[in-house]
Amino acid sequence: MQLQDKQRVAVLSAYALVLHGFEAILPMPVPWLRAGLANIITLVALLLYDFKTAMAVTIIRVTLASMFTGTFLGPAFILSLGGGIASTVAVGLVHAAARNLFGPIGLSLIGSLFHNLAQLSLAGLLFVQRLEPILIISPFILLIGTLTGVVNGTITAVLIRQLKAEKADRAACNNEP
Amino acid sequence: MKKSIKGTTISDRLLLLFLITASISGIFLARDALPESGEVVIELDGQPAFTAALREDRVIRLQSSVGPVEVEIKNSRARIREAHCPNQLCVKQGWVSRGIIVCLPGKIVVFVGGRGKHKKKDLDAVTG
Repeated sequence: MQLQDKQRVAVLSAYALVLHGFEAILPMPVPWLRAGLANIITLVALLLYDFKTAMAVTIIRVTLASMFTGTFLGPAFILSLGGGIASTVAVGLVHAAARNLFGPIGLSLIGSLFHNLAQLSLAGLLFVQRLEPILIISPFILLIGTLTGVVNGTITAVLIRQLKAEKADRAACNNEP
Repeated sequence: MKKSIKGTTISDRLLLLFLITASISGIFLARDALPESGEVVIELDGQPAFTAALREDRVIRLQSSVGPVEVEIKNSRARIREAHCPNQLCVKQGWVSRGIIVCLPGKIVVFVGGRGKHKKKDLDAVTG
């Protein structure tokens, strides 16, 4: 990994951590519900750079956030890490297989879907160990995940367009003289 | 906002439509597909006398104050098959998949399903 890549991962992870922390103070109807704002950064990392960057940012964000909140290696950490890795892998695979099939919103929806599926399976296998409550709650979680997925995807789309425009501006400025 | 809507592909919209439809229908499907608490509780004279699983087909025979009473469980439903009360209202009520069958003369109450809420028999309040 080159120095520039390392800096990129560090900066993106910092952004993701801030969003992760900011999310905790947002009022939510249910305490364990999260909007998943940090996943915006994962998507940006994947779309602007590559899969490796996105995965590194996700793992660093989840690990550091759990250390800061004192849930490292606890149930919340396992769910968070499982969901993060599953969604990043799913989005990365879809993006690699069909680059132009889905826009940021579609990728965000896929990420949210696999995030929730992974968390529900992990929760069912490790903690609840009963099928009925998982089946009852799954549709609700997937519906909320779809809504937050659209919001995150829209923010990602705006952010990427802005970043690309700035990059083009800078390139134009540099080429002029 | 307009730009971001323009940036979505057809597959984005199809995926969104599919996810919303699937999760909303899932909310209703999950409730119907699963057995509700799966318990049948029979009470005689206000005392719980028998508890059985709703998913197990069986016939329960108990002694009530008006003679023997027979409760049948089949296909996740329950009914009072036989009771020796005068008007036989409980027997006529037939199969119940969720709810209560009451036989007033015999002081027989059969709770079917209902997520076990009936287990809490405390008084809400007493007015004097």
